[in-house]
Amino acid sequence: MRPTCKKHESFLHIRLCSFLVLILLGLVISFSPLTVKAKVDLVTLPERDRVQMTIYNTADLTLIREVRHLTLRQDMNRLQFGWANTLIDPTSVSLRALRNPDKVALLDVSFPARTKGVAIWNIDSEIAGEEPVEITFFTSGISWNAFYLATLTPDEEAMDLEGYVRVTNRSGEDYANAQTRLLVGKINLIDRIIDLAKREYPYGRPVEIAVRPAAPPEAKLRLEEAERVMMKVAKEAEKRPKEIIKEALSEYFLYTIEGTETIPNGWGKRLPSFKQPGIPVTSLYKHDEKRWGNQVLRFLQFKNDKDHKMGREPLPGGLVKVFCRIDEEAHLSYEGADTTRYIPIGEKVELNLGEARDVRVRPVLMEFRTEHFMFNHRGDVSGWDEHRSFRVEISNFRSIPIKVEIWRHFGTAHWDLVNSGDYGQYEKVDLKTGKYSLELPPNTKKVFTYKLTTHHGQRAE
Amino acid sequence: MKRIGLGLVILTLLSLVASNAQGRIKLVALPDRDATIIRLDNPHASLVEEERVLTLQKGVNKVDFSWKGVRIDPDSIRLRVLSHPEAVQLLSVSFPPNEAALVWEIASPEGWEERVRISYLPSGIDRLVEYRARTEKDEKNLTLNAYMVLRNFSGEDFERARVFLNSGKAFEKTIRNEETKRMLFLTAGPISITKTYTWDAAVKPHDPEKVSETVGIPVHYVIQNRVSDGLGGFALWAGKARIFQDDGYGTTIFIGEDQAAFTPVGDRMELYIGDTREIKVTQRKMFEKKINIRRNNRNDVVLYDTDELFTVKVENFKNEPIVLTLIEDIPGQWDVEKANFKYEKETANRIKFLVPVLANGSETVSFHYHRRNVR
Repeated sequence: MRPTCKKHESFLHIRLCSFLVLILLGLVISFSPLTVKAKVDLVTLPERDRVQMTIYNTADLTLIREVRHLTLRQDMNRLQFGWANTLIDPTSVSLRALRNPDKVALLDVSFPARTKGVAIWNIDSEIAGEEPVEITFFTSGISWNAFYLATLTPDEEAMDLEGYVRVTNRSGEDYANAQTRLLVGKINLIDRIIDLAKREYPYGRPVEIAVRPAAPPEAKLRLEEAERVMMKVAKEAEKRPKEIIKEALSEYFLYTIEGTETIPNGWGKRLPSFKQPGIPVTSLYKHDEKRWGNQVLRFLQFKNDKDHKMGREPLPGGLVKVFCRIDEEAHLSYEGADTTRYIPIGEKVELNLGEARDVRVRPVLMEFRTEHFMFNHRGDVSGWDEHRSFRVEISNFRSIPIKVEIWRHFGTAHWDLVNSGDYGQYEKVDLKTGKYSLELPPNTKKVFTYKLTTHHGQRAE
Repeated sequence: MKRIGLGLVILTLLSLVASNAQGRIKLVALPDRDATIIRLDNPHASLVEEERVLTLQKGVNKVDFSWKGVRIDPDSIRLRVLSHPEAVQLLSVSFPPNEAALVWEIASPEGWEERVRISYLPSGIDRLVEYRARTEKDEKNLTLNAYMVLRNFSGEDFERARVFLNSGKAFEKTIRNEETKRMLFLTAGPISITKTYTWDAAVKPHDPEKVSETVGIPVHYVIQNRVSDGLGGFALWAGKARIFQDDGYGTTIFIGEDQAAFTPVGDRMELYIGDTREIKVTQRKMFEKKINIRRNNRNDVVLYDTDELFTVKVENFKNEPIVLTLIEDIPGQWDVEKANFKYEKETANRIKFLVPVLANGSETVSFHYHRRNVR
């Protein structure tokens, strides 16, 4: 069961239905726990005014920021917060006065002995009255990922690309009307938030860190209530998809979803991120015996730049499903799917659509001979050359023009090469590898030959 | 829970002899502890000092000190006489069997009140240091908050103890057994940041296109523990540092955390915040050949040099210029024949290039070296 607004028997009496249970206590003169109990004076139950979630996609981490108005007394105030049954990292919780940061000081935070899931802030205030404060903390259990739907034109020269983000909340808490931000980037974390959330003592123990048995948080689905909330939000929402504002910060990108979002626990939400029609694409076919055997793999190539009507934002890694419009009625065929890497602005994208059956590359060894043998003092062979002649036939059975890349591995750093025929462009990739790039019109064949001489043993010296 | 107890048994020399025959006499008076200090400047052990007032009689006094349920190294317990250090003498310390206790024999020339300081090293009480930094949006400066986290699992409650780190500032805190307390002890800034990007050929894939995930290049913040940056007062202890960045809307994003190393005054603190995927590095070996081959009289190769050429393409997808630190390892004895960028020799087998790359630009580093006398 999720925490509900009910009376507790403890000295605090009231809990809030919120991520953090916050209770402001009155001035307490003594620090002794016994006197604290006796003198507790419940002053205010601050409501949450605003909530902001920043959700990370490469770590199970969400930064929650909420603003509340506390009614403070001049002098010492004690504020209790609780995080039982949540996935909050208690060591991350911090408080900052927004209006009078110089007059309201958080003196310390105590995690009392033999009390689980509760901390007490001692706040020294020079002012009496209402003060907005910002409370930030990390929680686990909320995630987001990107995915894409691509639709090729029938001639496969252009592609419409739709990007989506999907936010999933399994944190054990409902988040209503929260400003939602998504962070694209790989941050360094030295502890998993879920582990910090489950520690018996927030900072562990000096000698050994005792970890509570890792029981997952209870599922707290309240479908009916969640549906009701979501229906209400849907009614209030404007009749257009929300915009996502994207900006670079440090090494990361921050996506801010327009307005606020309500994502009850257990629910996911899909939001459109961008839509770009008419991206020029190249049908690229690759052959590399070392990596893929005899297969030819089909790729869709474009660049995340202005020339390709993109380049406004990086593309977070995610699954891309590629379809093709096959007729004027816009019927679709499914071409394949690939999971992209993160694509920065300006970087090329190659979507691997799997094996191509209508493009063929056949490298055939046509001649082999050896010569220039050398012998050592015992009369054993100590060096020689090998000559190989390959005929490479490329067939494009498709009715569209294509580009083909053929990677050849020479197995040694000591070689000479002579190309002949229609081999397009040749490039030495590294000391043992060469690459041929060709363009083939629809339904055509090309043939080229290369003569490879490799030097072995003493002949390589 | 108070478990460390102090009992005072006042005996004359005569009755001391008798007490040996009778067995140990237990507590008579319990002087209260006051002025407790917890000193946390040694990362391996915490020192507790407490002061108590003993009412001594003329003659030999027996003082019983016990710590049932609290783990204390008995050899660390020290007693220092404060009121009459010249006159009052500690005669002996004895340890009763099977008890967490000791008995001091104290000789006093007069009957008077004597303030003593007892110090010991309990286990289970220590401190962590935690940092929280907020960088400006342009990442030029940051503000650093340092917190001390006092963890007391010693078995003993400490009322109104003065807690010292090395910063010189003391906190008066009550800390109970099994309680943890976090307190701010330093706010400093603006502290200037140097941001570095490091690609290490020994660690990172050389062909990022053959890896299924975009290769991240580690990003570090480097700050200096120096006076001109508002620091420099004392060494910064090792601890977890969480870094937030101003997002331009009055709020922040979390940009990463690292375990900060102990940083003495004058030294630099390097924090690994995360990986950038806006820089792509592709390294290729373009040429390798054995040269200067030397043979024995059976014509076997016994010694040779190598001729090796590498190219490293650095692509910057960011809208701002960067300087990439490129680390290359070269084993054995070697010399660089030619490199189109300046490099520094870090160790016998490691060189470092600093490669400036324009916004949205690329550079290709090419270096040609010989390994010598390879057998």
